Amino acid sequence: MTDSASPKGAVAGRGWFPLLQRVVDLLSMPALALLTAFVLGAVVILITSGRLETVGEAYWGLLRGAFIKQRGFSESLVAAIPYVLLSLGLALGFKTGLFNIGVEGQFYMGALAAAWAGQAIQGVPALVHLPVVLLAGAAGGAIWAGIPGYLKAKTGAHEVISTMMMNYIAFRLTEFIISGPLRAPSGSTIQTPRISPAAELWALWDIPNRLTAPLNALTLSLALGFGAWLIARAAGAGGQHAPDGASAHTGIGVPVSPFAGLIARITHHASRHLALVVGLGVALVSFVALPPLTRLWWPFTDEYDRLHLGLLLAILAAVGVWWLLWKTTIGFELRTVGANPNAARYAGVSITRNIVLGMALSGALAGLAGTVEVIGVSICRCLPLFFSSGYGFDSIAIALLGRNNPFGILASAFLFGAMRNGADLMELNSGVSKYIISLIQALVLLFVAAPAVVRWMYRIKAAPRAAEAPLTRGWGG
Amino acid sequence: MPPALQAIGITKRFPGVLANDHVDFTLQQGEIHALLGENGAGKSTLMNILYGLYQPDEGQVWVKGELVKISNPHEAIARGIGMVHQHFMLVPPLTVTENIMLGQESLVSATRMLGRLAMLDRRSAAARIRELSRQYGLAVDPDAIVGDLPVGAQQRVEIIKALYRDADILILDEPTAVLTPQEADELFVIMRGMVKQGKSIVFITHKLREVFAVADTISVMRGGAMVGSLKPAQATRELLAEMMVGRKVILAIDKAPARPGLAVLQVEGVRVLDDRRHVAVDGVSLEIRSGEILGLAGVQGNGQTELTEALTGLRRVAGGKILLNGHDTTHATPRQLVEAGMGHVPEDRHKHGLVLSFPVRDNIVLCTYYRLPNAHGIELDYAVIARQASELVRIFDIRTPGIETTAGALSGGNQQKVIMARELSRLSERHGAQNGAPLLIASQPTRGLDVGSIEFIHRRIVEARDAGAAVLLISAELDEIMSLSDRIAVMYKGHILATVDARTATREQLGLLMAGVTPAAARPGQREGAHD
Repeated sequence: MTDSASPKGAVAGRGWFPLLQRVVDLLSMPALALLTAFVLGAVVILITSGRLETVGEAYWGLLRGAFIKQRGFSESLVAAIPYVLLSLGLALGFKTGLFNIGVEGQFYMGALAAAWAGQAIQGVPALVHLPVVLLAGAAGGAIWAGIPGYLKAKTGAHEVISTMMMNYIAFRLTEFIISGPLRAPSGSTIQTPRISPAAELWALWDIPNRLTAPLNALTLSLALGFGAWLIARAAGAGGQHAPDGASAHTGIGVPVSPFAGLIARITHHASRHLALVVGLGVALVSFVALPPLTRLWWPFTDEYDRLHLGLLLAILAAVGVWWLLWKTTIGFELRTVGANPNAARYAGVSITRNIVLGMALSGALAGLAGTVEVIGVSICRCLPLFFSSGYGFDSIAIALLGRNNPFGILASAFLFGAMRNGADLMELNSGVSKYIISLIQALVLLFVAAPAVVRWMYRIKAAPRAAEAPLTRGWGG
Repeated sequence: MPPALQAIGITKRFPGVLANDHVDFTLQQGEIHALLGENGAGKSTLMNILYGLYQPDEGQVWVKGELVKISNPHEAIARGIGMVHQHFMLVPPLTVTENIMLGQESLVSATRMLGRLAMLDRRSAAARIRELSRQYGLAVDPDAIVGDLPVGAQQRVEIIKALYRDADILILDEPTAVLTPQEADELFVIMRGMVKQGKSIVFITHKLREVFAVADTISVMRGGAMVGSLKPAQATRELLAEMMVGRKVILAIDKAPARPGLAVLQVEGVRVLDDRRHVAVDGVSLEIRSGEILGLAGVQGNGQTELTEALTGLRRVAGGKILLNGHDTTHATPRQLVEAGMGHVPEDRHKHGLVLSFPVRDNIVLCTYYRLPNAHGIELDYAVIARQASELVRIFDIRTPGIETTAGALSGGNQQKVIMARELSRLSERHGAQNGAPLLIASQPTRGLDVGSIEFIHRRIVEARDAGAAVLLISAELDEIMSLSDRIAVMYKGHILATVDARTATREQLGLLMAGVTPAAARPGQREGAHD
């Protein structure tokens, strides 16, 4: 049909409350998918238990376990942190047209690299060691994902197959290294040596103690400053920039008045420097103020609470990925290659380079997730032999539920973290197997991946949008 | 005799759009009824209603004197209505026979031992296809693999598919959009033959020339309403164009004689291989000067696509040399060519020209996102990009709800305007720079567009020429080549057979060259660069 009298596009952006409508549009499908999955989960519980009350007990247990019981809420966050990082990696891949199904393996390699880097050096301050460990973990994941990326770019080997196979190599390789070359010499359990305390990601309750060392205070304040700079940058980058004086016309021979150009230039530079000023300010203030303030009052006092600074890392990663994808030329290229490789080639964008880059960045985030688990969560502060996570595969569902949007992912990762965390109490409370959670998560994935089913169930008309980019590309893609 | 098909007061609303507004339409038995209209006029909506794909909000449909309700294509087929869509509904790896049988498989029972297992009765289906193909002059081989067939043959398969289902009312949705002029003429002969044998045909198009070539009745739609019906004898091109667009349209392009300057593009003995590694372009040489338009004519598939891709950095050059403003660009990348001042309007706007899921804004900077003022370092400056996009949307009259609207939501004409805006604005930006005049390569710039958009794009191309650009225009529309070009090169089987002056060239002369017939005067040695 060439006639566009069909509804596509005709109503785009013309609603009564465009923003509200967009938000509702965006949230309605994931919300309905969740609702449906929980309703079907209830049906399964009802059938298997034969008692209606069990459904209530199970879901009440889930809710209590996830939010209400002691440390319930923070444990949900602890579980959400690797989910966020892994799903961000997947989303970045999806946006580049890549289905990086191997995040689990990259998670392992990141954890392995971090466990190695954490114990290999001793006696350097956290200011140096923590970044080194994080970089090592990211690099481990990046290399592990970069290999299939390179194979795809050069030979066309499909990344779904190759990353999945890389998973198995990663699992066995980690097992070998943990039980052989990198095995902790003392102790009966097979695990890597404990990492240096300087390489640990601090638990939140521990922060006042850590901050007594000035170098540690400097580390945290620099991290906070960087975060503030990144957020200011991401928030401002879309806005008020104006052309440089050298190019104060729009390229079609219509000059902007010199006066306007001058003002634009001033605000432009101000806004660029504003982010820097904000960042430095936050760093300075937190360096001076945080150590004494946290001594006076600190909300996290529970020494058994495992919530750690990875929370900050996850949020910054979400902002960073968002900024990278939508505000930079790098993201523009990645997304162009993902949405239409032919047009990318036409526009002079290297497909090879961006496939490798997309995979490597995706793997780096997965590797960071593994790193966080080793240096922030594991009790032994090491990589034990029986380090099974299953985080990677859940993350596919989380990325899809979050519509590959970094902020959507923050929400859906928290939801999945809460479900994972609440499942134990649910089982205890009602006798319903905690694996019912996997069933519900699988149903969520199903409904998110096949929105037509949800639309049909709730009699929702298809969104009148042309050329909707698929969330995932098929196997042939 | 009652009309074959009659629609009375058809109204169809889509959210925010009145696609059909009390439309009346009558197809008499045994006629070819052309339905004209711009993109978005509601032609396809009306036909989709008659074919059962949409349900009308109001109005009646009569088939052969009987009031009917067609709620899906199966019912339409049962009532003898067949539709050939612009985008074919064929399965490429299957044979012609299998494609035609699909959904209507006739089976032969296998032996008793196999019980209920049955096999496709390919043989009798193939026989019936041969019969139909002979009866209506639709040459196709029932055993050929559809994916191997050229577009024209695939279309014949679609028509046979409708006839195989006993359709006597055929709806052809823009059948000529994918055909060369020659193939279109063949199709018209076939259509005439079918009508003689009692079929009735609705022929959707927006090309005026075709209407006069084949239609018995012409109906014109605009903005969802039927503007009127008339006989070809009462119509003129100008009248029909005015009915379609709603205002007077200048069909002929008003352009001053070319004032060629320095050579911008020099192509010397270029050889290019196609995807199957066969030689597609064999030693082509040409030269385009600043301020002139060179039209490259030829039947589709004679190497124009490969040549264009080679010139624009999308395909490797196997031999020869390409110079742009004196610099060797034989193996330049698309990015280097953008930097060197080339604009490229690609043949396939969906495949290469646009990222349909991106907003108009991002498509405007698709080739220049990385450089000032669009980006500082790695950071995109969306304020600048948005302002530039808004300005181009205004200047190029791109009809879009906003620059945030995805390119895929625009009509074909407006999508093409987005590409023109992007490429031409880049050229004029470079104009006056020290390193030579810009080059515009426009491939099929108006394919599938309506009269209004074509007029607009033609004017822009001539303006680019007058501003000093060298223009290479590749088109399957001979009319377009003839009216825009200053010189015309004809390509045949990978060679340039001749280059002629557009002022003296005739349709017949070019038609012969396109068919590979060279006049005795054009010796091989004189072929190339004949303008000197």
